[in-house]
Amino acid sequence: MFKEEVCCNLGVGQQVPDFELDTYDPSKGNFGKVSLKKLKKAGKWTILFFYPADFTFV
Amino acid sequence: MGAEVITVSTDTQFVHLAWHRDEKMLEKVKYPMGADPTGDVSMLFGVYDENTGLDLRGTFIINPQGTILNSEVNFYNMGRNIDELMRKFKANLHLSKHENEGCPAKWKEEGDKTLKPSPDLVGRVYEALQ
Repeated sequence: MFKEEVCCNLGVGQQVPDFELDTYDPSKGNFGKVSLKKLKKAGKWTILFFYPADFTFV
Repeated sequence: MGAEVITVSTDTQFVHLAWHRDEKMLEKVKYPMGADPTGDVSMLFGVYDENTGLDLRGTFIINPQGTILNSEVNFYNMGRNIDELMRKFKANLHLSKHENEGCPAKWKEEGDKTLKPSPDLVGRVYEALQ
């Protein structure tokens, strides 16, 4: 998805390139997409929460 | 509070649907569950583990201008504290509206003492926090 120059291992203080992710949206009960571009346009803060795998613990 | 929370794992959106439907503990989860099976976005943030194809437990707070302001990454077996996440987010919100201030280590919420860096503060932080 990303050009060589922006990949990878971004650090604090760096700009995040516009990315998109397919999603399951429980509030709509449907699949969707999130786009950083759209979130920035809407003036929103974004909190990304990565985790290993569904159906596991912790 | 004006933030879009997005969870991400390398599972597909179909697995997210099945998990949300099955696991009672997720009933209250209403935010988008991102799918990153290729690991592209995870690699961008440095949380993709090539050995397992899974993501480490990383949290990143990004402001509306697209800059990463906070990052926290834990190994698989250690969960993240949500109170701490809330504290950091509230601090970020406060600081975005008060650009000449700093939130000291004990800052917990709006109304707590902040620091206003200036020549007067040099060597006098103790007094400023009383």
